[in-house]
Amino acid sequence: MPVILDIPLSLKTGEVLRREGLGGNFKIRPRIKNLILELLASVKQVHLLEPAVAYEIQSITEMSREQVSLEGNSVVHGSLLPSTFPEAKELAIAVGTIGPRLEKQVAEYFDRDEPLRGILLDGIGSAAVDSLTQEVCRLITAEASSRGYQASSPVNPGMPGLPITEQWRLLEMVPAREIGVSLTSSGEMIPRKSISMIIGIGPKMKTWTRAEVCARCSLKNNCPYRVKIKAYRQHQKQQK
Amino acid sequence: MKEKEALKIVEDRLNAGKEPLKILDDAQRAMEIVGQRFADSQYFIPDLVYSGEILKEITDMVKPKLAKAAEVKRVGKVVIGTVAGDIHDIGKDIVVFMLDVNGFEVYDLGVDVPAQKFVDKIKESGAPIVGLSGFLALAYDSMKQTVEAIKDAGLRNKVKVMIGGGQITEEVKKYTGADAYGKDAMVGVSLAKKWSGAG
Repeated sequence: MPVILDIPLSLKTGEVLRREGLGGNFKIRPRIKNLILELLASVKQVHLLEPAVAYEIQSITEMSREQVSLEGNSVVHGSLLPSTFPEAKELAIAVGTIGPRLEKQVAEYFDRDEPLRGILLDGIGSAAVDSLTQEVCRLITAEASSRGYQASSPVNPGMPGLPITEQWRLLEMVPAREIGVSLTSSGEMIPRKSISMIIGIGPKMKTWTRAEVCARCSLKNNCPYRVKIKAYRQHQKQQK
Repeated sequence: MKEKEALKIVEDRLNAGKEPLKILDDAQRAMEIVGQRFADSQYFIPDLVYSGEILKEITDMVKPKLAKAAEVKRVGKVVIGTVAGDIHDIGKDIVVFMLDVNGFEVYDLGVDVPAQKFVDKIKESGAPIVGLSGFLALAYDSMKQTVEAIKDAGLRNKVKVMIGGGQITEEVKKYTGADAYGKDAMVGVSLAKKWSGAG
């Protein structure tokens, strides 16, 4: 049961701005941009991020339309996995977190009547979770590749066909407590800036971009944090 | 938005002995313009909160001058919280802040709030407006149960209930039995103003 700490996270200003609801080509006020840069620096200085991930890769023993059975008698319910990963031989279950310190600082800012700092730092935390997700995907892709397999893009509990109640099962399958992640009675993760995901592994797996996930989301028409396909492609082009 | 310039203007007007309430009225009008630009997608959440902070600074500057002449009147009371089973707070916190800077007395019950706690606070405060926040789909049932608890306590005709959160729609509003939903913080403020007769 691997647990990995000290994962390097990349906090690019563009991604942080998108998580602040300021994506696209909008004009950003100097005061807000300066504050974001100041907060980004403070996140590093006072170590507000404590990224950690716990994951487990298990072989699939049986797959029906409504569930996937894994070695060790674990079962993940819902139609999303069979419909998304019909070719998978294994599933990687991963739970990651950036720890509780950042969200405590956000709450402190709100308590001190500094909500602008609070929401901007919260956005930085969300961008950090996005970066953590990417790192986990890279990790699992590398692991799969070392065995001649490919890894899919991730799916998350709460997506249609993968009920959020499956969180309980996922957190039992990995050493989530070792990285300080637990669930509330309704299945929400604590710390809040945490992520759970499932990745399909097999000889040939499909991948998709975050922009494609956003395009399928029910909130796509009014979500301020949406990754737009055109903007995503431009971003990818700039990265090359 | 020009924070330093705005604060300087307020300072100059106060020093010149201008009517403090008039200064606050002007600042509120500026906030309404910000709200409209937010509704038109010219401004975004950080802009909105930034302008709220400026308004709060202005209010803090003007308040001491008001003490002798008049008090800043609160336009209404609102009980608000994230419903039971949901621990999302950032959206609710933004609404709390925007209601506060727009002159409301806000009773923030926090997150994962049981229905009975809303009922108790409505009774204690006499607030005629209730805000139920929730991000997850599971919050809809909690919102419905909270509205029912308010009804069972005989308070439903005394309060207006608004709901808000990431995925709230007209259908969710009908399902929960709320009076209205706000797609963002400023709609919440507008509803509260309308219901309190301040809009």
